[in-house]
Amino acid sequence: MKNRLPSPYGTLINREKPIQFEFESKTYNGFQGDTIASALTANNQTLLSRSFKYHRPRGALTMAGQDANTMVQLPSNPNALADRELISEGLKVTGQNYSGSLEKDRGQWLGLFSRFLPVGFYYKAFFKPRGIWEKWAPLIRKKAGLGVIDQQLVPDYYDKQYKFFDVVIVGGGPAGMQAAIESAVEDCEILLVDENPSLGGSLNYSRFDVEGTRGKNQLNELLDAINAKPNISVMTNAVCNGWFADNWLPIVTKRRLYKVRAKQTIMCTGSLEQPAIFHNNDLPGVMMSSAAQRLVHLYGVSPGSQAVIVTGNNDGYGTALDLDDAGIKINVIVDLRDEPIYDDIAKAAVARGIRIETGTTVYAAHSKGANHVAAAEIRKIVSQGICAMQGEVITCDLLCMSVGYTPTYQLACQAGGQLTYDDQSAMFSLQNCPQSLQLAGSVNSLWSLDAVLLESKRAAMIATNALEFTNEKVTDRVTENTLSPNHPWPIFAHPKGKEFIDFDEDLTIADIINATGDGYEHIQLVKRYSTCGMGPSQGRHSALAAARLVAAATNRTVAETGVTTARPPFSAEQLGHSAGRSFYPARRSNMHYRHLEAGAEMLQAGAWYRPAFYHFNNNDRQTCINKEVSNVRDNVGLVDVSTLGGIEVRGADASEFLNRFYTFGFLKQPVGKARYALLTNEAGVVIDDGVACRFGNNHYYVTATTGGVDRVYQNMLKWNAQWRLDVDIANVTSAYCGVNIAGPNARAVLQKVCSDVDLSAKAFPYMGVRLGNVGEIPARLIRVGFVGELGYEIHVPQQYGEALWDALMSAGNEHNIQPFGIEAQRILRLEKGHIIIGQDTDAMSNPNEVQMGWAVSRTKPFFVGGRTIAELEKKPSLRCLVGFVIDDSKVPMPQESHLVVDNEQMTGRVTSCNFSPTLGKAIGLAYVPPQKSDAGSVIEIKSLGGVRVLAKVVNLPFFDPDNARQEL
Amino acid sequence: MTTLDPSKGIRRSQLYRRHINNSAVFKQMGAHFIVSHYDNGNSEQIQARSMAICDLSTLPRTGFKGAGAPKWAESQGLKLPNSANMAAIQPNGCLVAKLSDQELLILSDIFSESPQVATLTKKSTQDHAENDTQTYFLPRGDSHCWLAVTGDQAAEMFSKVCGVDLRPHKFGLGHIAQTSVAKTNAIVIRQDLGQTLSYFILCDISATEFLWDCLLDAMQEYAGSPVGIRALEQLVASQ
Repeated sequence: MKNRLPSPYGTLINREKPIQFEFESKTYNGFQGDTIASALTANNQTLLSRSFKYHRPRGALTMAGQDANTMVQLPSNPNALADRELISEGLKVTGQNYSGSLEKDRGQWLGLFSRFLPVGFYYKAFFKPRGIWEKWAPLIRKKAGLGVIDQQLVPDYYDKQYKFFDVVIVGGGPAGMQAAIESAVEDCEILLVDENPSLGGSLNYSRFDVEGTRGKNQLNELLDAINAKPNISVMTNAVCNGWFADNWLPIVTKRRLYKVRAKQTIMCTGSLEQPAIFHNNDLPGVMMSSAAQRLVHLYGVSPGSQAVIVTGNNDGYGTALDLDDAGIKINVIVDLRDEPIYDDIAKAAVARGIRIETGTTVYAAHSKGANHVAAAEIRKIVSQGICAMQGEVITCDLLCMSVGYTPTYQLACQAGGQLTYDDQSAMFSLQNCPQSLQLAGSVNSLWSLDAVLLESKRAAMIATNALEFTNEKVTDRVTENTLSPNHPWPIFAHPKGKEFIDFDEDLTIADIINATGDGYEHIQLVKRYSTCGMGPSQGRHSALAAARLVAAATNRTVAETGVTTARPPFSAEQLGHSAGRSFYPARRSNMHYRHLEAGAEMLQAGAWYRPAFYHFNNNDRQTCINKEVSNVRDNVGLVDVSTLGGIEVRGADASEFLNRFYTFGFLKQPVGKARYALLTNEAGVVIDDGVACRFGNNHYYVTATTGGVDRVYQNMLKWNAQWRLDVDIANVTSAYCGVNIAGPNARAVLQKVCSDVDLSAKAFPYMGVRLGNVGEIPARLIRVGFVGELGYEIHVPQQYGEALWDALMSAGNEHNIQPFGIEAQRILRLEKGHIIIGQDTDAMSNPNEVQMGWAVSRTKPFFVGGRTIAELEKKPSLRCLVGFVIDDSKVPMPQESHLVVDNEQMTGRVTSCNFSPTLGKAIGLAYVPPQKSDAGSVIEIKSLGGVRVLAKVVNLPFFDPDNARQEL
Repeated sequence: MTTLDPSKGIRRSQLYRRHINNSAVFKQMGAHFIVSHYDNGNSEQIQARSMAICDLSTLPRTGFKGAGAPKWAESQGLKLPNSANMAAIQPNGCLVAKLSDQELLILSDIFSESPQVATLTKKSTQDHAENDTQTYFLPRGDSHCWLAVTGDQAAEMFSKVCGVDLRPHKFGLGHIAQTSVAKTNAIVIRQDLGQTLSYFILCDISATEFLWDCLLDAMQEYAGSPVGIRALEQLVASQ
């Protein structure tokens, strides 16, 4: 490897474990611990990707995963960050967003047409003349996007886990480490989180003293202290990706999302180095100073052989010392400041005889035709943003930038902190963070290591005081006597443009200024119009420069201009982090496996699994369903109704309660009888139905719909909280399994297993209820007629369900009893004209509209919705739910929600429609205008494919109008 | 030893097929079948100390609610916890869980065939019918499944499916959380077995298989697996 530095450089790599991998089909060597970017740089391969719009060559900018210049394609993972992703044996990596080859991307010629692609051009182009968009769209779609998704991918297992801590410290640099140590008093539980593979942050690569040893010594000291505290948990390679209410922090690792609850947080998230803005500042080889330092110290890679350093602070001089120590020639330090005030580190760099040019900037980087920086053109600064007409071209293959920082403000702002800008120091700072959130380190605008460590102690003290682990007097905020590291204007326009503000979106100085010129002056509008800050790095390196340019262009201060809102996630998350491990509760009846064994096709109704129909002899679906229907009409069938809601209403006021709650009358309901229970809300709208079974003077068992029972139960509790009747209400839906055995032979079958109840029609008439036993199984028996046949609903305690099914199927064997499913049940009930709440009713259906006026008491003093229904009855109905038949078997059968039309006017809609095997024709229910509601009326339905179908309105029910069969 | 087949009983746990497929050996406790152990060669006692789950759904349990429920329960000799969301072990091994000021859950002793639950159920209905004790029976034996999760990894496992901090130093003995576990409503009761961290978890019985699968999935990371009641007895006996 050409650019490898000897040990002890490379603290993250293991030279004992060499690794081979591929990039763009070429084999490279690296070491365990290398990222793709560091290993490639070690092999002199600095071109990693092509930019979004102009397909410009791009390489590492931060070496910290903070920019999108390093996005590469992995076999099953697009847009991976090469400066984060570790190499592994045999890994195949390719570049992204190129045509032809990464080296000679045909797309780079787009750069020549940049004047035709100004900011916001896509709002102004592509749609004129009319119809042209259809031509552009496929081309744009082909060019858009970066990486490629593997559509055959079998996702890895991702999951989530909750964690609970007293204090969570985000950022494991010196500030975070010190804060963790100071917070770990008594048994205070601390979590220290850092996105890097190891703790230390800048201690691992930055220069804190002339000798270059303080960082390592301080790191070891802090690590020893942390290791000595068992109540500090450390997570590395973990990103705190947002801040949500009450210190709920999502922390993302490779395959797990930790949902962390913290009582107090301390943000030690550091700061983000900012780029200088000059012509070609995006070339591979042009990088942040800290990126160069990371390559040298963490990966043992020399980022170049001849460096130019452009700086607006003393940190650039520290970089110079580091590079010089590593054997890299520093051709010049270009200091933007006219009269820099040097600290000891800067003086040491001066003392080494490195050439320094003050009051000077890099005006342009040149590649000389290659995909890498080859020279830097430096010029004197004449005034803000303006350079002299002439300059000097300096050869280099490395150009480091150190012109300032922004605090990593995102999480603090999500927590409510506010970003302000100080013109004096040319820096953003955070204010007004909530009381449960402290700041420490450079995120809090402190730069010297001593000040940072002191401030961290203070932040920890505030946190532990708040948690009452300590009761210390909090010292004043730490101040320091260091210069601001931010240069106020490191932005230099060039006649050829290409001075990039936003690397992700290929936005230059002119783009931002032109956005304001187009009338978008607010920073939020500049963002949306130009897309500045909308790329993968989310404005990390563009927010400050954009704010400065917009402020200058609109005659405002940077403080007035501000930055755009920082929203979670802080960094990119895999879809798997959100999606896995998800829970979709599945509810099953105790008879579930009997359905499967009988060949059921299951369907999901909410969380419940229910049999739709039972496969039979390889017949198609409809044939199977029709057979089930006919079997119930002619013989006896068994359906699992365990999902139906069941509510116990018990107490001295039970009947009074039901009387107020439902529309019907219940005070005089005899024990041993069931009564239809229709529920309306206060607006008089039908919202549920069931039967109320009176098993005792003070005991009702009320059924409700599968999907509505929870709402019914909540409504009952709500109303009784007001009425305060002497009644107990218990939702026992899951406690009971139920079946409906229905058909002319139902009684005969049941009699074989139920000997303690007289099942005769006289002793147990229609709508009667009884307590008895089916074999040894205690049972509630209810004679109901939902399907319009002689039938018994049998409700038993849940764990008896399978045994009940077995007993009835066995007893029914001689009658060839067959199970039937939901689809057959829906047809059977439709043949009887019984409505399904929520399908045949909507948010406006009152009882009279749906032919349920008979279920409404007109003599009760009160029931929920009664007043509204009474008012509605004074006016004519606007629509009616009617039954219809279609005699023509050749027309396409309408489906639910197909429109009832009158010429081209919509006058109603179909709510249910199915083929009736009993009647041999299609039947259904539909809302129609009142004038079309009489039997014999003809209505027109717009059916499948727009075909108009004529249907005839008929009286309900369609079958057995005298209800003789269900009352057998 | 006669092989017991739970499919022959009239009360059947929703999990019995899974137990059979996992080579379960059943034992009868009163009218109920419960897994004694799994015949798969694993040392279930060691498993139960580390990370295990046991299906107790066929064991007796009952519930009462109403303004008179606490007073009536005390009149039956039950010692109630002082506050809601606490559980108390009774001298006969039953567990009384106070879910609210007016709602009690009674779990039978998991190791013996106590008739107390059945007796209480019958008496409550009778007393209320005769004297209006304002005590209403809740069919907990059929509305909820009952699982035991044991082992020193149990709290860590739960944190993958539950947002409540169930770590032993935060969720003490006898504490109750009525919360969401794997997106389903559940009652979690800390009830150590011997020296081993243990929890009872009850959820809607129709979601038994769902919850069982979710917990097995969550405990896979900790090498967890099902055990029978015999392993739980060994935990208590070894203290």
